[in-house]
Amino acid sequence: MRFMMLMIPKGYEKATPGTMPDAKIVAAMMKYNESLQKAGVLLALDGLHPPSMGVRISFPRGKPKVTDGPFAEAKEVIGGYWMIQVRSREEAIEWASRCPGSDDCVIELRQVQEMCGFPADVQEAARGYTEFQSGRSRPA
Amino acid sequence: MRFMMITKERKQADPDAMPDARGAATMMKYMESLAKAGVLLAFDGLRSAAMGTQVSFSEGKPVVTDGPFPEAKEVIGGYWMIQVNSKEEAIEWAMRCPAFPDFAIEIRQVLEFSEFPAEVQAAAAIYPRLKAQCRNRPGT
Repeated sequence: MRFMMLMIPKGYEKATPGTMPDAKIVAAMMKYNESLQKAGVLLALDGLHPPSMGVRISFPRGKPKVTDGPFAEAKEVIGGYWMIQVRSREEAIEWASRCPGSDDCVIELRQVQEMCGFPADVQEAARGYTEFQSGRSRPA
Repeated sequence: MRFMMITKERKQADPDAMPDARGAATMMKYMESLAKAGVLLAFDGLRSAAMGTQVSFSEGKPVVTDGPFPEAKEVIGGYWMIQVNSKEEAIEWAMRCPAFPDFAIEIRQVLEFSEFPAEVQAAAAIYPRLKAQCRNRPGT
C-alpha cells in the first residue's frame, strides 16, 4: 500500500519567497532519505517553495478565482512530501517516526486511494486513470 | 518547471468515503486534457484525513496522533504534479479544473536541486541520485 508522508514545517506559512533550506538540516534529511531508498520503500519525494510564491484557485459559484500567496488564513502548509510503498499503516508510522524531525514539524500520513479500492461504477467512470498514471513520469 | 497542484477540501470526508461516479467522470476528462497536453507527471487521490495519522516531534521524540483532525480548517484531497513553462501556465491549468463545492487548488512550485545554494547542494549531494533511483511506479 502507498502512503504519502506530508511534511508540515511550522512557520513555513510565513516564509518569504526564495527561502532556502538550511544545509545542516538538509544533511540530516538526506541520511533519512537514503535509508528510505535503501529499504526500497521510497517511490518519490520533493520539496516545495513556500506558499508566499504560490497561488490558490478557489471556485466561488463555480467560477475560478485566483489569489496570490501567502495565504493569511493558512495555519499549516506543506513543505514537501515523500511517497512510500509499505506493507502496513504501522510500517508507514514507523518510517515517519524515524524522520529527523524538530519540535516545529509534523508529518501527516495519508494512504493513497488506489483504483482497485473504488466501487465498480467509479472504476468504470475512471477508466483510463491507471493509464494516465503509468503514461508519463519523468524526473525534473 | 514543475508545480504541484494540491486539492484542498473544507471538510474531512468520512473514513470510508469514495468519490461518486459522476464526479469521477468529470475529473477524468480534465485529467485526460492534462495528459494529452503532455504536462501531467503524476497524480493521486488520498484517502480521507479521518483515516490519516500525524507524527509530531516533541523534544526529538515522535508523538503519534490518529485522525480525524477536528482543528484542521482544510484537508488535502490529492494532487497533480505538472511540468509547464511558467507559473501563469500552471494557473491556467488549475482554472480549467472542474469546480466542486468547498474545493480549492493550491499551486506550489517544486524546489529543484539546481536552485539550492552551493552549501545546500553540497549537503544534499546524494539527492539527484536518490531521485533517479526512486521506484516511481504506478499504483496497483
